[in-house]
Amino acid sequence: MNRRRILMAVLLACWTVHASRAQHGETKPASAPAANTCLLCHSDPERFSEEEKKFLVHEKDLATDIHWQKGLRCADCHGGNPNEEEYAGAHSKTAGFKSLKNRADVPDFCGKCHSDVNFMRRYQPSARVDQVTEYWTSGHGKKLKADGDPKVATCITCHGSHGIRAVEDLASPVYPTRVADTCAKCHSDAKHMEGYEHHGKPIGHGQRELWKESVHGLAMLKRGDVSAPTCNDCHGNHGAVAPEIGSVANACGACHGKIADLFRETRMRHQFAEVGLPGCATCHGYHDIRKPSDEMLGAGPGSVCAKCHADQKFGATPAGALIAKGLRDQIELLKADIHEADGLLGGAERLGMEVRASRFELGNARTALTNARSLIHTFAAPPVEKAVAEGRAVTARVKEAAHEAFAEHKSRRVWLGWSLGVIALLIGILVVCIRRIPLPSAQERNSSPAESGR
Amino acid sequence: LSPAPVDEKPPASRPRGLRAFFDDRLGLESIRALGRKKTVPIHRQTLSYFLGGMALFLFVIQLVTGVLLSLFYSPSADTAFESVQRIMTEVDFGWLIRSIHSWCGDLVIGVLFLHMLTTFIMRAYRPPREFTWMTGVLLLGLFLGFGFSGYLLPWNQLAFFATRVGTAIAGAVPLLGPELVRLLRAGENVTGETLARFYAVHVAILPYLTFVLMGIHLYLVQKHGMSIPESVLKQRGSADRVRSMPFVPHFLLRDMVGWYVALGLLAALAAVFPRELGEKADPFGVAPPGLKPEWYFLFMFQTLKELPAHVLGMEGEVLGVLFFGLCGLAILLVPFLDRGPRSRRVLVVLAWVTAIFFAYMTHRGVTAP
Repeated sequence: MNRRRILMAVLLACWTVHASRAQHGETKPASAPAANTCLLCHSDPERFSEEEKKFLVHEKDLATDIHWQKGLRCADCHGGNPNEEEYAGAHSKTAGFKSLKNRADVPDFCGKCHSDVNFMRRYQPSARVDQVTEYWTSGHGKKLKADGDPKVATCITCHGSHGIRAVEDLASPVYPTRVADTCAKCHSDAKHMEGYEHHGKPIGHGQRELWKESVHGLAMLKRGDVSAPTCNDCHGNHGAVAPEIGSVANACGACHGKIADLFRETRMRHQFAEVGLPGCATCHGYHDIRKPSDEMLGAGPGSVCAKCHADQKFGATPAGALIAKGLRDQIELLKADIHEADGLLGGAERLGMEVRASRFELGNARTALTNARSLIHTFAAPPVEKAVAEGRAVTARVKEAAHEAFAEHKSRRVWLGWSLGVIALLIGILVVCIRRIPLPSAQERNSSPAESGR
Repeated sequence: LSPAPVDEKPPASRPRGLRAFFDDRLGLESIRALGRKKTVPIHRQTLSYFLGGMALFLFVIQLVTGVLLSLFYSPSADTAFESVQRIMTEVDFGWLIRSIHSWCGDLVIGVLFLHMLTTFIMRAYRPPREFTWMTGVLLLGLFLGFGFSGYLLPWNQLAFFATRVGTAIAGAVPLLGPELVRLLRAGENVTGETLARFYAVHVAILPYLTFVLMGIHLYLVQKHGMSIPESVLKQRGSADRVRSMPFVPHFLLRDMVGWYVALGLLAALAAVFPRELGEKADPFGVAPPGLKPEWYFLFMFQTLKELPAHVLGMEGEVLGVLFFGLCGLAILLVPFLDRGPRSRRVLVVLAWVTAIFFAYMTHRGVTAP
């Protein structure tokens, strides 16, 4: 029986090393794996009852586990004696065995290594070691500490337990494209989220579905843009918490820096803060942030400005509505100019005229339009008008160039007509000459020296 | 004492005009005599005699417009596209010169195809004109080379990728393939080096070879005169009984009518359908959809595209390249393959098959998505 166990242990060790190498090209673990008898029992499903299934460790999970791949073994986290085959010896407290009975122990259990800069440096020189500290500041951590709530997320809720993949592993539950689904395991579960509130309002459970249809969700899930923001980009990772009213603009500004800077300097920001409205989110929404459109601007029924300014809610004034309408008019003016210039260039191109330089220059007008749209976040007319004026100066030049191309095309036709007329005249003269010089008769030809035509 | 003998005639006894001045020094009279001596037979196929002159006229236009373009063109990957753009937009009549050069390139190859076809139909390659035919076929090959090398020079996206595909085909030549590709591209890939090489080939190597071959071709035409079709000879009994006209001025005047018509056609094409410049070549960009070579290479391109990956144990592309190589060699050697009525019948059938194949595959290439 012992020989059989030893053989099994050797085979298992060989297989795990091989699997580890095959998975990540690892040539040598950080420390040579010691004899490990833990899996002899913990990989055997027949040893555990339904209640004890949590102690079952699947070998296939270990093969993809970043810790296992780096050479860490069961005892490196759990303590105990891996060389001991008997239960008592293997789980001996004198050998440092640590039983993880309480969910609240998880952060510190992981933090034993992940908060130890000297330990982590061995594996990753620039590894962060503040995750546990951050965690205790998060909504999850606070709830866990205060109430011992067994439902809140801890390290293993997001990262898994045995089979923790590297963050950059595409199959990792915390890889950018999977973060929303990982958070949604709890946050989309109505029953799970029941009773949880933020500032006295239910947190709800539809965030993932809203995000999926948002401009950010579509960018990530449809276009595969992993730089698009998902849950953790706005809420934080280990210190996950909803941004407070005053810090929403900063959260958005992490990516939309220019617009956040513009907004920060406005009076609107202070007014928003005074009445308890979050920056950015008041107009653009939270999780279901749609692609912004010009229709959002102005005093019309579809505009977000009208939501407050039409009914003068939150201290909004009719004068603000007029400014919004003016901004919209400016934008529409430039758009119409660009459209017209684009059409003219298209017409010139269809005639075969070379207007590439003007086409390139029209790009500057589009840049000016983008700039003007950004400057809307100043909520003031002069900067937008200036940007629009710059764009319109470009479109004016482009339109002029297009008209010149049309004129050039017309003059080419005229020149062609004249040229063809001259050519026709020359052909006519040649025909007259040909008729005036008759072909020699056969007799005349025979009197001249003949060619050797055969 | 008697005066020393004077071998010059007294001034009063000879014409002293400008014509005489040049005649004395350049021997123009002998050229005029040559012109008077040269005649062109008159029969139902006389029109075909105009094609050679037309090709020559179009070549001269190519030379003139090419030299003008070279004054502004800059053959480097960084500046080629911009220089052509400048020619099209800023240089006076640059658009016209470039468009004429581009259209004329197409026309000259079309005229040369027709010239070769009529020469074949009339069997004008009969002895002693074998070398006239062969130099003509080689000239057609050189003009195809002009077309291929000139296509890359604007350094636009279409030209870049078409050249990449075109030069890659040379890689299918057995044994020499990879070396040929490197020779054509001046490296492993189509780069600025390739552009410089193509430019040198286009403006130096090919023109020199063309001048030499054209000189030989014209000399042979002059030496052997115009070939008279066998049917005409049979009808009239002998060459002496075939009616003819002097080259100067009768044929030359008629030739000039054709040249002016070609000039008018070129001007109209250039003005109404100026050649587009496209987008600047981006080696890291995506090949434009519907990538196709010039029309005269389309039949080869389409055939190679449609060939299965493997045919009779050989790679399809290799087989295709070998096939077209053998076809070219057969066309070059037509005068020697035509050895009697039976081989003539085979040649005629093969010529028809080739013409139909050319037209069909070109059509497929044009209509392919």
